[in-house]
Amino acid sequence: MLRPLSTAVVALSLLLPAQSEARSLVLAIGGEPDGGFDPVMGWGHYGNPLFQSTLLRYDAELNLVGDLATDWSLSDDGLVWRLSLREDAMFSDGTPLTAEDVAFTYTAASEAGGLADLTVLSEARALDNATVELQLSEPRITFVSRLATLGIVPAASYDEGYARQPVGSGPFQMVEWREGEQLVVEPNPHWHGGEIAFERVSFVFGSEEAGQALARTGAADLVGVPPSMADAAPPGMKVLHVETVDNRGLAFPMRPRAGETTEAGTPIGNDVTADRAIRVAINQALDRGALVALALNGHGRPAFGPADGLPWDNPEAAIPGNDPAAAMATLEAAGWTDSDGDGIREKEGLKAAFQVLYPASDSTRQALALGASEQLREIGIDAQPTGSSWDEIGALMHSQVVVLGWGAHDPSEIYYLHHGDYAGVDYYNTGHYAKPAVDAHLDAAEAATGFDESLAEWQAAAWDGETGFGPKGDATWAWMVNLEHAYWVSSCLDVGPLQIHPHGHGFPITHDLPSWRWTCE
Amino acid sequence: MSAWLPALLAGRMIRLGWLLPLAAAGLFALISLAPIDPVQAYVGGRTSQIGPEQRDAIAAAWGLDRPAAERFASWLGQLARGDLGQSITFNAPVMQVIAARLPASMALVGLAFALSFVLGTLLGLAAGATRGRWPDRVIRTIAVVLAASPGFWVAILLVAVFAVGLGWLPACCATPPGQLASEVTPADSLRHMVLPVATLSVVGIAPLVLHTRQSLIAFLDSPAARHLSAHGASPLRLAFGPGLRHAAGVALTLHLASAGELFGGSVLAETVFAWPGLGQATVRAATGADAPLLMGIGLATLLFVFAGNLLADIAARLADPRLRRVA
Repeated sequence: MLRPLSTAVVALSLLLPAQSEARSLVLAIGGEPDGGFDPVMGWGHYGNPLFQSTLLRYDAELNLVGDLATDWSLSDDGLVWRLSLREDAMFSDGTPLTAEDVAFTYTAASEAGGLADLTVLSEARALDNATVELQLSEPRITFVSRLATLGIVPAASYDEGYARQPVGSGPFQMVEWREGEQLVVEPNPHWHGGEIAFERVSFVFGSEEAGQALARTGAADLVGVPPSMADAAPPGMKVLHVETVDNRGLAFPMRPRAGETTEAGTPIGNDVTADRAIRVAINQALDRGALVALALNGHGRPAFGPADGLPWDNPEAAIPGNDPAAAMATLEAAGWTDSDGDGIREKEGLKAAFQVLYPASDSTRQALALGASEQLREIGIDAQPTGSSWDEIGALMHSQVVVLGWGAHDPSEIYYLHHGDYAGVDYYNTGHYAKPAVDAHLDAAEAATGFDESLAEWQAAAWDGETGFGPKGDATWAWMVNLEHAYWVSSCLDVGPLQIHPHGHGFPITHDLPSWRWTCE
Repeated sequence: MSAWLPALLAGRMIRLGWLLPLAAAGLFALISLAPIDPVQAYVGGRTSQIGPEQRDAIAAAWGLDRPAAERFASWLGQLARGDLGQSITFNAPVMQVIAARLPASMALVGLAFALSFVLGTLLGLAAGATRGRWPDRVIRTIAVVLAASPGFWVAILLVAVFAVGLGWLPACCATPPGQLASEVTPADSLRHMVLPVATLSVVGIAPLVLHTRQSLIAFLDSPAARHLSAHGASPLRLAFGPGLRHAAGVALTLHLASAGELFGGSVLAETVFAWPGLGQATVRAATGADAPLLMGIGLATLLFVFAGNLLADIAARLADPRLRRVA
């Protein structure tokens, strides 16, 4: 009985060319690393490093779990990570992975001047074949993000050409990379993580439009699409909306205008937004649901903080919003009233007016600025949407409100955005916010002796019951929305549970690529 | 007899001698003044994972902590040794990046060059020979419409009609997705070239049609042509016989001299069709303020256009003996 049936299946599969060989996947999600696949230079930060494996990894709930490391601990002074490695890890060329390779990778990355920030690492040493120690120059718990993202390279064969001929202990090995065009990988037979359901995975690079065209002609199985296209999935594909912390918010100048300037000579401070009442009222007034509908076609969720839903987020710090009455009461109590009847409030001769800067090239941020401005006019605040270039924004962001976006799987972002040490540094703390109590919580978080222990301090920095950078405290930002990243996925492809994705659409979807399954046939 | 050639070449070499350094200095000044911070462009969306100390380390690794004049001087020094430096974006030597991507671009540009020359000249001759009648009017209308259409728009239109609408041709890329280079058949490669080459040819066809038509008309109005036609030569025979020689010189000069435009057009076509050539690399280099690669591509383009112009001059002299004296 079975034989004729299987013959029929074979005959049928021969008629359908796509299924005639073992299952292969075609993904069009962008994210081609122009510089190649060298973790030492920063490859593998988003999604799956494909070719390499990391010491730790984040699971779908963003908990840290072991990958190469079977056991790990941080010394009581927070300076030395000691990790035990699994013995069965092998590079795709068949050589075993040892502690020497780990020490080599960390040392090389800290010296490379690439996109892996290991400035805090002072020494990496192999104690024996399966134990490695990483010595930090100061306690910094966010170093765990490096443990979870830095792929290990083989010390013996690492050389200049590595980025284009990577060899690692990850789930895949490279078959062919035609730059600017396509990357083809196949499962690494030596991988320690189990079976992969696909014989071959191809990443097609090129424009977003090209990816969509491939999907429409049935040539791609998973394609990243902009939110505006999301609902128009072609036949045979379903739409996948992924929650993110790819957020957008209003960054406030926190200091009054006192004639200070940055090193570049641009002004610092804004007398209107320096008043906490204004910032809190904005947080109370904004109808974030309406902004999601307006600017994102409904494909997003309201944002209340810089890391909504991540382990280091503190929902207690948020103000629900969409409450213009409460916002107006806040303004009245602080002395902001409309005495001349023009619809805009004043206080001691100062109008409640400021610019809201957005990059003119970004239509989402433009819609957010316009929408927020409309909503704020109702409570008597004149927020003037102003499109400009990143250049101009760089000059004005310390004295005017800016629509900025963040969102990373790494709490060091919380530190950079709110710590006084980063006031005016790059795009981090544009408002020059500096509060000793918040700095103390942030420093305590970095100095924690375990990642789980640090979480309470990150949360306390947002709101500790008395103060914090969150809306209930100093309201340094008015967060507005978290974007949703949209993909068209073949109806036959099961991508399993997904993480909340970071800033950056595309490659993060591959995080659990090794466990994807094909459900048809 | 052919003494004009060495003189022409010598003159051009002298010109190249001062043009190259001037172009290099100009390019470098432009890139330095561009409002793009290469470190920020490199870090991109990872701002939160790359602290200020690491940014300084990246800048130092690229030598950006040194003054611009010093960087230019050291780049010139490298150039003198035949080294174009290291691309920031691609983390590889500039020579290697250009060498890896040039063939794909040359295939595209070369085919488009040949196709637009043949089509443009033939259509121009046909239009000139049928001056004032319906074939002329149709061809002229097409040429004017093409001349007024931006290349990227033509590309999107072609994709919409032939790839998505009719499904005849692939919408992107140089090869079918999911296949290794070794599995791609020549037929597949050709199929993938059709739309990009068509897009790129459109850029060159229109001016060629109009110029060829005009120079053929000038010939047909000349005493020589009237003499021939008095002896019974038909306009078509005149056009594709002696007229061809009259028009071909102009057409070839024009076409070779506009090779630079074709190169520029390939940047657009490669972006729309995800063609893995030099045009695509140029876009990446520009958005990443990758000075070494941009300078390398800039100089390569300069040589390309320069060679095109030189060939145009030589071709013109070969086609028209009267020009040889002035050289």
